[in-house]
Amino acid sequence: MTRTYTPWFLLVVALALAAVYLFPLYWMYVTSLKSGSEIFANPPTFWPVSPNPGVYPEVWARRAMPTFLTNSVLIAGGVTAITVILGTGCAYVLARYRNVWIDIGLFAILMLQVLPASVMVTPLFVGFNQIGLLNYPRTAVVLAAAAKAMPFFVVLVRATFMSVPRELEEAALVDGNSRVGAFFNIVLPLARNGILVCAILTFMSSFGEYIYSKSIIQSPALQPASVGLSGFLGPNSTDWQSIMAYSAIYVTPILLAFVILQRRIVSGLTSGALK
Amino acid sequence: MQFTKLGLLAGLAIGALIAATPAYAQVTLKVWSIDGVDRPGIADTYSKEFDEANEDIVVEYRGIPFDELVNETLRAFATGNAPDIVSFDNPDFALFSSRGAMLDITERVANSEIISKAEYFEGPLNSVTWDGKLYGLPKYTDTIGIFYNKDLFAKAGLSEPPKTWTEVAEYAEKLTDPASNVYGITFSARAGEEGTFQFLPIIQMSGGNADKVNTEGAAKVLDIWKSLIDNGYASRDVLSLGQWDSTGVFNSGNAAMAISGPWEIDRMVEDAKFDWGVALLPTIEEGGERSSALGGFNWGIMANTQHPDEAFRLLEYFVDQEDRIFPEFGNLPARGDIELPVTGEAKKDDALKVFQEMLQYAQPRGPHPEWQKISKAIYDAEQQALTGQMSAMDALNQAQATIDTIFKK
Amino acid sequence: MSRFFSGLRDGIGFDIILVGAALLFLLALAGAPLVYNVLMSFQQVDMFTLGSLFRPFVGFANYIAVVQQPEFWLVTRNTLIFVFGSMTGQFVLGFALALFFAQNFPGASTIRGLFLVSWVMPGLVVGAIWSWILAGDFGVLNVILKSLGLIQNNVFWKSDPNFSIWAVIIANIWLGLAFNMLLLSVGLAAIPRDLYEAAELDGANAFQRFWTITLPMMRSTIGAVLSLGLIGTLQQFDLFPALTEGGPANTSNVAGYWSWQLSFQLYDFAKGATVSVMMFLLVLFASVIYVRSTRHEVRG
Repeated sequence: MTRTYTPWFLLVVALALAAVYLFPLYWMYVTSLKSGSEIFANPPTFWPVSPNPGVYPEVWARRAMPTFLTNSVLIAGGVTAITVILGTGCAYVLARYRNVWIDIGLFAILMLQVLPASVMVTPLFVGFNQIGLLNYPRTAVVLAAAAKAMPFFVVLVRATFMSVPRELEEAALVDGNSRVGAFFNIVLPLARNGILVCAILTFMSSFGEYIYSKSIIQSPALQPASVGLSGFLGPNSTDWQSIMAYSAIYVTPILLAFVILQRRIVSGLTSGALK
Repeated sequence: MQFTKLGLLAGLAIGALIAATPAYAQVTLKVWSIDGVDRPGIADTYSKEFDEANEDIVVEYRGIPFDELVNETLRAFATGNAPDIVSFDNPDFALFSSRGAMLDITERVANSEIISKAEYFEGPLNSVTWDGKLYGLPKYTDTIGIFYNKDLFAKAGLSEPPKTWTEVAEYAEKLTDPASNVYGITFSARAGEEGTFQFLPIIQMSGGNADKVNTEGAAKVLDIWKSLIDNGYASRDVLSLGQWDSTGVFNSGNAAMAISGPWEIDRMVEDAKFDWGVALLPTIEEGGERSSALGGFNWGIMANTQHPDEAFRLLEYFVDQEDRIFPEFGNLPARGDIELPVTGEAKKDDALKVFQEMLQYAQPRGPHPEWQKISKAIYDAEQQALTGQMSAMDALNQAQATIDTIFKK
Repeated sequence: MSRFFSGLRDGIGFDIILVGAALLFLLALAGAPLVYNVLMSFQQVDMFTLGSLFRPFVGFANYIAVVQQPEFWLVTRNTLIFVFGSMTGQFVLGFALALFFAQNFPGASTIRGLFLVSWVMPGLVVGAIWSWILAGDFGVLNVILKSLGLIQNNVFWKSDPNFSIWAVIIANIWLGLAFNMLLLSVGLAAIPRDLYEAAELDGANAFQRFWTITLPMMRSTIGAVLSLGLIGTLQQFDLFPALTEGGPANTSNVAGYWSWQLSFQLYDFAKGATVSVMMFLLVLFASVIYVRSTRHEVRG
């Protein structure tokens, strides 16, 4: 009996855990629908007394959401492209050998991640200004943010390469492949899933890139959605409903894409596709 | 012959120069402020108007979120990308004016037909003055007072708003009603500029100021505030709520009094389902020294501008249009010669009258180039006292020690 | 010459190009700012010299000044609590969830996917939402805890000096859980099934299997998770301005936020850089752990 019911019991537990975990997300949607003073009401209401969905079209119109979202996608896409192109090869080499140089390399990559973006932005701004890159602000942000995303990507993808059996690569070399050939024909396809997933994760986290964008990109037409969000915080007022509605508009599409794609993402990473 | 030829050439050259002048003389002015990021504001609207009305000047406007403005300007200034005109929150202004980053406009203002220095309130004018020279002009101003819920007051048998902090404590006790989740009072003692904004006036009432914070009076009021929290007459969350959120609690009927400023009025008119009023910020003793916080922004021309004359013309335009800033944008002019139009909303008009009176007592924060460090010493001390980590006097003494090192430099 | 090209294609040259490109990129865009900050921590900086590298040298004056700040030891203590608390919470809960979702039941991978939500949420929003949840009076967490009978009176998570740092830790655990769970899930999936089957035949119980198979096999994953987790936790910024601004009276201020506060709120750039260089030491420690953990890796 227990054998048959256990999976369903686990499912119920899993759903309960997910409900607890997703509660803050629910709270975002509910808060966006509440009236100005209701969000301060004590005790709090779990469902708005008079929901006001009008805040959504209002926020959409007041902010140039389509422009913001397009810029977010462009920046996240650029960051992901650079990270994948430069990071994959680096991770491959770092996984291939086992000596003191590799230790130093890994060490350097982690250490280069040490400063928070907020501290790095001033020197980067000064540097970009010197070489005239501030005139191409989105490119500048992509470069800066890619440097921030790279260490993380390298460490993860390196783990993926570690699980590619070395014999396969050696066999290919014996068969007369060059190193380049073996890399592109044998190793890369085997690690494809892991790389893809790490790329998606990189895309998602750089979709919310904020600190570099807000300083480097001056023109509102080129700014990503994350920067648009901070405009709701005034010197004396904070438009909470709009913040929540704006974030909902901003987060929901990625969430949907995520829910649709996640079977592939998570199973790609975990189902032993690398084996 | 030779001579005339030369003359002709010269004439031609001059003629060409004159013909080319309109194209060459077009001047670009960069204006930065926080306006227009969320909704149309003063700086973006007026910049656009001036740009359209003047063929020879192009105004490039950039709106920057509030918490980024100073850092953006510092960074731009250091790399030679600074704007021509910028609008700072008043305590931030001295950081720039004291270091020669703003243009001295004392002479220009004295000669201006549009700007009359005498009309400005003293507090705002102090915040743009450094070393006796004028480095900018107030853009708009605000201050704080005490809002009270008249319905709850009537229920508790009270008719008048409190005049002293001792009365505030007495009233708060009567107004507190835990059964219906009502606190006597709410205010903001947050770890940030807002905390100092609400506490500095108390120090000033007690005869102190930014350079002298450890006064008896300030310690006494801190003890009163601490007792409000400890007795449950004010929420412990006043230590983390900003003014906007703290007043939100008042609007939802969960606090009977709130300390905040005129920016709250419109939301309160809309949200508050009770009768309310505003009174002057309470004093330490009956009839004692008055003070209040000075909020609001300032205009300034940056010292490295290439076009000081044009920039000043734009500044004059901003000043010229100041009678519109209340009706169109809801901000209070920092001048005594502009009559606020009656809005017809009784509660709002009454509240504005109180705030107009309060403005006469408003004192600037600083001005001091290291204001933010002074401010942190003050709000840290306030929080240490309110959480009971130190006695009020000890906390203020510690702040004084930090402040002394700043002023000694 | 041809040896050179064949080296690029076949030998160590190929490796050097791959690593070199990435490292050069990182050195330019992450290394240079690091040098700028280290330099700045030994210099006297003001708004006019923000853009240049050569400024008056002051030796260790900034370091001495930072240590002498009244809040220095409090911030150090908070940083350790914050790092230790966040990482323990994220790791233990993340591992538990990863183990749970490694069981075979319907919908396991779909529901696990939902846990990655925190990954895509902008930090500012996460901070704002938790600020609402953790509020003392109108916060929903207190309502829930009270209805469960766990607390009698409201807990002022953000304003009580005894809890303020934990308020940020709670939000940060929520934020970092997705990352920990995902990486640990990947590590778990890479362990060959037959190892467990063999152990089961030998009569090992679940705990023994976890101790003798799961943990040793995951050593390198755990190393990566912990070191990246430490770096991520030290860099956590968004939650602080939204929840407490480091208050009350610095009881929830940590090195990362303090460094930002000094640089960008108090405009004391040299001290801000000094604190960030001090944080460097902590990351140095994490990197050593990570690199050591890779020593024991077995390549598949």
